[in-house]
Amino acid sequence: MLIYGLFATYYVMTVNVIYFSIMTFSFRNIMTIFRRAAYSKYNTLSGSELVPSISLLVPAYNEELTVIENVKCLMTLNYPTYEVIVINDGSSDDTLGVLRREFGLEPLPNPEMRNSIDCQPINAVYHNPQYPHLYVIDKPNGGKADSLNAGINLSHYPLISSIDADSLLEKDALIRMARTYMENPEETVAIGGDVRIANGCVIENGAVKEVSLPRKMWPMFQAVEYLKAFLGGRIGWSSINGLIIVSGAFGLFRKDYVIAVGGYRGGYPGEDMNIIIKLHRYMLENKLKYRVAFCPEAVCWTQAPDTYRILSNQRKRWGRGNLKNMIENYDMAFNPKYKVMGLLTMPYNIIFEALNPYFKITGLLALIGYTMMDMTHWRVLAVFWLINFLSGYLLSIGALLLEELAFKRFSKLSDLVRMMLYSMFKFFGYAQLGGLWRIQGHIQYLRNNNSWGTMTRQSWQEKSDTAKPA
Amino acid sequence: MLNTALQSKQEQTSLYMDIEQSVKEAAYETNGILFISCAGGPTYLEKQVRGILESQPGVNPKIWGGEEPGSLFILFPGQTLDAVHFQGLLLKQRLQESMPDLVVRMTLTSFPEKKQLTQEVLIKMEDSVKQQASGEIHIFTREEMKTMRSRILIVEGDATVREFLEIRLQMQGYETAVADNGLSALETIESWKPDLVLTELNLYGIDGLPYIHHIQQLQVPAVPKIVVLTEQRVEQTISLCFQNGVDDYITKPFSPVELDARIRRSLNSLRMNLQGLNSQHIK
Repeated sequence: MLIYGLFATYYVMTVNVIYFSIMTFSFRNIMTIFRRAAYSKYNTLSGSELVPSISLLVPAYNEELTVIENVKCLMTLNYPTYEVIVINDGSSDDTLGVLRREFGLEPLPNPEMRNSIDCQPINAVYHNPQYPHLYVIDKPNGGKADSLNAGINLSHYPLISSIDADSLLEKDALIRMARTYMENPEETVAIGGDVRIANGCVIENGAVKEVSLPRKMWPMFQAVEYLKAFLGGRIGWSSINGLIIVSGAFGLFRKDYVIAVGGYRGGYPGEDMNIIIKLHRYMLENKLKYRVAFCPEAVCWTQAPDTYRILSNQRKRWGRGNLKNMIENYDMAFNPKYKVMGLLTMPYNIIFEALNPYFKITGLLALIGYTMMDMTHWRVLAVFWLINFLSGYLLSIGALLLEELAFKRFSKLSDLVRMMLYSMFKFFGYAQLGGLWRIQGHIQYLRNNNSWGTMTRQSWQEKSDTAKPA
Repeated sequence: MLNTALQSKQEQTSLYMDIEQSVKEAAYETNGILFISCAGGPTYLEKQVRGILESQPGVNPKIWGGEEPGSLFILFPGQTLDAVHFQGLLLKQRLQESMPDLVVRMTLTSFPEKKQLTQEVLIKMEDSVKQQASGEIHIFTREEMKTMRSRILIVEGDATVREFLEIRLQMQGYETAVADNGLSALETIESWKPDLVLTELNLYGIDGLPYIHHIQQLQVPAVPKIVVLTEQRVEQTISLCFQNGVDDYITKPFSPVELDARIRRSLNSLRMNLQGLNSQHIK
């Protein structure tokens, strides 16, 4: 009993040490990020022949209400040469129809699909010479990963970028990512972008005109959470090349390496984390120098779920995908061959992310037990909890500070105050719910091990729901 | 609101097309045109004018009512300038006899050749009648056609560059308007009918090439000249732009002197078209 108490204490201490170290790395990098964003001439870059060409892959499943706006937004990016490939994943609504009518698309007689990656056969590729940079693939339903693979097979350019159909890219987002890529084109295999919550912002002509925090509670919690994860976490992880995930909403990849690792894996959610783990594994096993970068100045705005039901479904799906990825790749953990990935990232993700809720619950039970058996005093408990709370709060404030140092996207003081308040409220309920959802996700995983394909499709349907209230 | 504005623009355009069509069908090579504008004129103005004109033998006018009340367009087939001027004087006198308070503004001219009468000239004439300060009869000459201030629409997302271009072009004596995104630019082209659009390709709202294409599909009497001023230096895009009928393509950073020269050249070629020397007809 006592041993478990000690263990729990060390667990909490370790997790906080890791959090703070990562945050320190983030702080060390933030001024570099600020300067490179401030002094780069993105306008000049965005017209240059020398910038590598990119294929944007946009999987769409039942997005008829929002897809036009998103495609229009994607077609007006500040970027010299790129193409937009929308993959209609067997939508049951009129996604393909609205696209065809809006852009006057006609089927291509001989679409040049390479078979670099296995994917389901497609129905047709649509194109209109008047919009030379837009392609629409129509294929039977096969999930998000399969759509991305089909997109890769059609894509004409050496870099690919996956973008969710319910997200809006900032005009400069792609050129900012390309700038990061051009720093080191030989070694960069993937770059992640910063994902922010668009709820509450004023959106006009497919662009965010005025940045503001969400008014509703659930998106607000997520805004705090995203800020902490992206600025506080991912900047730090990328600086030691230990980034384990590039958000599926907006990431850039070297096509040759994505093909080399066999493309996206279908059947389970979490394909965005999976592809990054596979890239790490491939590069390390082949002893190639590489980096997985993070570019926080490239921003993608996404519609966050604003009801409990949709949010909990999303989080359960993440929990499910995360567990699957961990089980698939557990051999990397504690294996020195995999360097930072094997010694830090994977163990951290398994012990402190995937299993976190179980430790939390057992820790809580243990504490209750101790108190009941008079083995400890409530004051000790209060101090323990307070330390926990304060360190968590400090991390949130740190992320906010990073934001204000480098980006200053929130112009209103009231928004900052709200951020700080919600960072506090998060510890009373929301954080616990996060653990609960993760456990529920794990339960789903264990139950539905065999019937996974349908679950993924189901979850996509849920996801597209979130985009619709816009 | 926007819809009705658009509708009236389309009516206006079809009006010019009607006039042009009537001239084509006219038996005479020479044709006189008279524009009348009476601010706050009565609704029965058209009937009255018709009465005055039809009481004289040998005059076969065609009359159209403009979109604003009190504005009229009259075509005198076969009439030379002095005859049209006489009709103008007569109309003005008769109208003011019955309505002493009415301020009658007129612009008139006569075209010795049919093909000189184009929609562009009609637009200029209508502008000149609106710009008149007092109730005079203004005779519209070909020289005036040449010295008329050209209208340039500046489409640019960057506020600093936009302001710079606006100030510079105004100092050069052009009339300017600005738009900061592709969609409002398209609206402004329809309503303001610029002679030339100086535009960035990289705009909010609409992709560059479809945007150029859209400009050419607009329901305006004369498609404006398009000069692209952009950061975009990809050769393929440049050649696609020229294929789509762009008149000139300048990349940033640009030389303002060169820009002036290129704008002047594009406008000159437009003038040549207007004077009928090169009677290539647009729509």
